[in-house]
Amino acid sequence: MADNDSLSEFLASAVDAARKAGDIIRKGFYETKHVQHKGQVDLVTETDKACEELIFKHLKHLYPTHKFIGEETTAALGTTELTDEPTWIVDPVDGTTNFVHGYPFVCVSIGLTIGKIPTVGVVYNPIIEELFTAIRGKGAFLNGNPIKVSAQTELITSLLGTEAPTQRDKLSVDGCTNRINNMLSKVRSLRMSGSCALNLCGIACGRLDVCFELGFGGPWDVAAGAVIIREAGGVVFDLSGADFDITSRRVAASNPFLKDALVMLCAKPSEKLGLHRSWWKIGILSKSTCVNAFC
Amino acid sequence: MADTAADSLSDFLASAVDAARKAGEIIRKGFYQTKHVEHKGQVDLVTETDKACEDLIFNHLKNLYPTHKFIGEETTAACGTTELTDEPTWIVDPLDGTTNFVHGFPFVCVSIGLTIGKVPTVGVVYNPIIDELFTGVHGKGAFLNGKPIKVSTQTDLISSLLATEAGTKRDKVTLDASTNRINSLLSKVRSLRMSGSCALNLCGIACGRLDVFYETGFGGPWDVAGGAVIVTEAGGVVFDPSGAEFDVTAQRVAASNPSLKDAFVEALRQTE
Repeated sequence: MADNDSLSEFLASAVDAARKAGDIIRKGFYETKHVQHKGQVDLVTETDKACEELIFKHLKHLYPTHKFIGEETTAALGTTELTDEPTWIVDPVDGTTNFVHGYPFVCVSIGLTIGKIPTVGVVYNPIIEELFTAIRGKGAFLNGNPIKVSAQTELITSLLGTEAPTQRDKLSVDGCTNRINNMLSKVRSLRMSGSCALNLCGIACGRLDVCFELGFGGPWDVAAGAVIIREAGGVVFDLSGADFDITSRRVAASNPFLKDALVMLCAKPSEKLGLHRSWWKIGILSKSTCVNAFC
Repeated sequence: MADTAADSLSDFLASAVDAARKAGEIIRKGFYQTKHVEHKGQVDLVTETDKACEDLIFNHLKNLYPTHKFIGEETTAACGTTELTDEPTWIVDPLDGTTNFVHGFPFVCVSIGLTIGKVPTVGVVYNPIIDELFTGVHGKGAFLNGKPIKVSTQTDLISSLLATEAGTKRDKVTLDASTNRINSLLSKVRSLRMSGSCALNLCGIACGRLDVFYETGFGGPWDVAGGAVIVTEAGGVVFDPSGAEFDVTAQRVAASNPSLKDAFVEALRQTE
């Protein structure tokens, strides 16, 4: 089991790798990109591949017994199962569409899980020069300054972050816009910035209050952000209210006050009664609140 | 009649940049502090910073150009609409993206536009958090931090990055129209961005990081007067979402590079 010194070392190595990859991203940001499609809208560039190689080599060299899961390697070779072994989970360029278009929300995301638990997290936006870091139990930081989730308690005054789905079939798009339609009457406003990892960091530093994303690429989008949010005092969960599963390609996050309201807002009518019943039983809601809400 | 020689326009630009930078400092200082917020509507916010910045900008420009006219977001909210005339008129949003400012989301800006004969002629949009200064003068090109910028060369809507906003009206009719429009467009574009600042969206078009943009029902001409020049000077086009000519007072705007306009207008028409 890793001790504190090891974790600090792991963080320093990840920051080092992130900065080097960030240099490649920054150089490429204003140049013409050669783009391939992984799906209808899912893009990959030479920069994604170059950054993933760099990060893997850097970390493999230091920690040859550790495991690695990367977005581009997975795309090429298939899914690697997540085990209890220390595992680096890497998105070399999160926000590839933004990178291709020159929209400044791109980042490197490097997470380390131990026992399948996100334990070290680094997210680095080399365009705006923002480095988010966290170690489990040691707090979260932006450019070295401590960060905390927002103190927002009401959904109606909250800023929500989410994204358009990469699947553009009618079902997925209808689901997305119906959800947005429902939520826009209950939140202050909506932001779509094109990077899952940076949305999670936005929650961690309080510039977003609630976020969720469904159907993103893989665990590399969330492994780092999950640590950072938890260390900033936030919560990461499944939008249904269930526990967060890092491999599920579903994530929701907020400060602790807003979680229940977000889950309730997104629950299907048939789920709401169940939620109310269980929350009444465990004392979160009074009986009258449940009765009024259900009616 | 005002002197509209090139020297004057450069002068006007320099003064506007000066005012924008000063207002930018106030915004930057306030960005990480607790804000005292009032509501102008269900979701439309205003802070002391908005008002302080508008005062600063007006005083700065009035001092230099006492014959010019002024239209500002906060003054209009307080005193009612000023009609736009042919006179040189400074149209100012002291803080575009007030919601972002309140939440600490780094897309906020000062937007200063000068119209002459009702035509946007000088534009300054300054994001003091990311430190991006967009400028444009009629006939003189558009710039980001002093470097020339151009709209994207994207020719296919399906590979385009679209920006729009949720809007401040949240009644069912408006919301349904808005999300139905987004639903229709999502099958025709690469992806969608919502960043919370109309002026910065226009600048995003101008520097090529966005390909198509539309917004309706925003606050007033102050949201677009600065950005419209910058887009045009970057080789882009600004128009009404219906395809008709752009009207700076209409609270409706669309923008793109010239190649995408027709396809975009057609796609928008199909959402009606």
